Amino acid sequence: MNRYGKPATYLSIFFISCSSSAYAQQQVIGAPPEASNMKLVGANDLQARSAYQPTIHHQGDRWIAYIGHHGGTDDIPAPVNPQTGKAEPNGTSIVDVTDPAQPKYLRHIPGQEGKYEAGGAQMVRVCDGKALPKGDRNAVYMLRTFGGEAHEIWNVADPANPVLITRIGGLKDTHKSWWECETGIAFLVSGAPDWRTRRMTQVYDLSDPSHPVKIRDFGLAGQEPGSTGAVPTEVHGPISTGPQGNRVYFGYGTNKGGFLQIVDREKLINGAKEPSADNLRFPEISRLAMSAFNGAHTTFPMKQMPIAEFANDKDGKTRDIVMIVDESILNECSEPRQMVWFADVTVENRPMMISSFTVPEASGSFCERGGRFGSHSSNESMAPVFYKKMAFIAFFNAGVRALDIRDPYHPREVGYFIPSITAATDKRCVTVDGKDRCKVAIQTNNVETDERGYIYIVDRANTGLHILELTGGARAVAGLP
Amino acid sequence: MRRLLTAFAVAICTLSSVAVYQPAWSDIEGWREIAWPFPRDGWPAGRAFRCAVELCGDEIELYVRPKIGFCNCDSGVADDDEVDRVTDLDLMSQRFLPLQPGKVIRIADMPGRLRSYDLNMADGSRHAAVGIAVSRRCDLLVAVAQGKGTAPEVQRVALEFLGSGNMVHWMASAMEGR
Repeated sequence: MNRYGKPATYLSIFFISCSSSAYAQQQVIGAPPEASNMKLVGANDLQARSAYQPTIHHQGDRWIAYIGHHGGTDDIPAPVNPQTGKAEPNGTSIVDVTDPAQPKYLRHIPGQEGKYEAGGAQMVRVCDGKALPKGDRNAVYMLRTFGGEAHEIWNVADPANPVLITRIGGLKDTHKSWWECETGIAFLVSGAPDWRTRRMTQVYDLSDPSHPVKIRDFGLAGQEPGSTGAVPTEVHGPISTGPQGNRVYFGYGTNKGGFLQIVDREKLINGAKEPSADNLRFPEISRLAMSAFNGAHTTFPMKQMPIAEFANDKDGKTRDIVMIVDESILNECSEPRQMVWFADVTVENRPMMISSFTVPEASGSFCERGGRFGSHSSNESMAPVFYKKMAFIAFFNAGVRALDIRDPYHPREVGYFIPSITAATDKRCVTVDGKDRCKVAIQTNNVETDERGYIYIVDRANTGLHILELTGGARAVAGLP
Repeated sequence: MRRLLTAFAVAICTLSSVAVYQPAWSDIEGWREIAWPFPRDGWPAGRAFRCAVELCGDEIELYVRPKIGFCNCDSGVADDDEVDRVTDLDLMSQRFLPLQPGKVIRIADMPGRLRSYDLNMADGSRHAAVGIAVSRRCDLLVAVAQGKGTAPEVQRVALEFLGSGNMVHWMASAMEGR
């Protein structure tokens, strides 16, 4: 080695170690999934469409997954549907998951043309006709968004041959709605053209899906038509506890300035409907403001949870808890961490944040993997198998995280699953010195569970659907054999 | 030699990890940069400037900052409601009244909208303000100027300032995360 050889070697080692540390955690095609106490049962590529909300419905003796999609990508605005041979704008995938090891893709219903958030049909809810007060007993109704411009109801009694029943259109943005199957009342996240916000709530009576009846528009004072001054944060999505619980929990904000709004459902439905500031305030019980750093994507209520630590207390043995999930928006940790929060809302006019959960970034160098890292959403099924025991959180490049929430004051992770990437997994880019720098990573966007205990996760970066089950100690938390 | 290489490595790492401070200033006389006057909120602080009375007629302040990931990636700043929502008028006062429909504008090669307002300040005084929101892909750049003069005057001064070479350069850099 000459006198320049040794310094050159040092320099090479330095630059290699500098550059390799940034890429050490990047996923590669062919590598196995990363998992703890969760394992893969089956998968479907969903025709390489960017996925949002899955809803799993027990339909006769079958289990059907209805999965909403974002719009297409710059590279592939409308992927080809192999069943039709045609390019179709992303819409809704219908998959038979009766045998979760062999999911069968039944049908793709095209959505609105447009890329990313501008197209597709992101949201899905399903009610049986026999559950709805005025529904056709032989029908199964799927409520979905149509891009930003409409809500649609389809009869999916034959899930391979859906039939459009109703469309509520003329909107400027739609998102994550809630539909009470026992009453037919729907809280549709819409963008009424004359409101000052992109997203507000339209309350509808969809008890007869073929004849929607609008009840009222709802939002925050300052968003209504004709108001002036500061415009409050837009709604992201509500979850209702129905007539028995008489509460609707609204999440506002996505990744900033969020809050939880607790609303009296009966006052909301039957109160004065003119959208004046006073009428909009009337049904509100309270708000829990979050940090300006965080938003409320999902507000999942769990009423009267028994808290073991408080079992011997004369009062307050059970607590009403709302799990609030923020949505991460920006790639490669370019924003404050979006995570999971637990609020004790037992005293409704004094809700209080009691705990939080995030995935330790260092456990997977997630800020360097590419794409988003942080929470997006939780499962929303209230089936007994997991309700008030476990929660599943979609955490983008950290996959899905399984939490033991039996003590919501101290939630703890008991499992996780990060799917492998495939050739279909789309890149995610950040701007560095004016140029795009792109990486490929899993982007687990949404998660749902079914009554059998299967966990369904879907990918925003086009990797498809993964069906999982718990293993090891995590099964014991849920009381599964 | 080993010591030299270590020093070189430290220097490289330091240079790559520390953001280079780029002072923003205007090439228009009379403006000076002041401290960002608002408490921390969901967005990182931006840049604030004040124009002297002798140059602008009245004292005018202008606040400008990027809001990365806050824009509809396809439609951009689509309407006046969007300007009401996203500009930082609410940092100065929750009570503001638009004076007229806004107009399409282009700043630092970014399209968007501009709208004039009457601001009702906490001390009861009334200020004129102009809110500006322009976008690039999914990112916004917002600017607000306010003063005791008339809205057209505040607008004229603000646009002249934002159109100056140094400001255009800084805004373009800020939108690229530099």
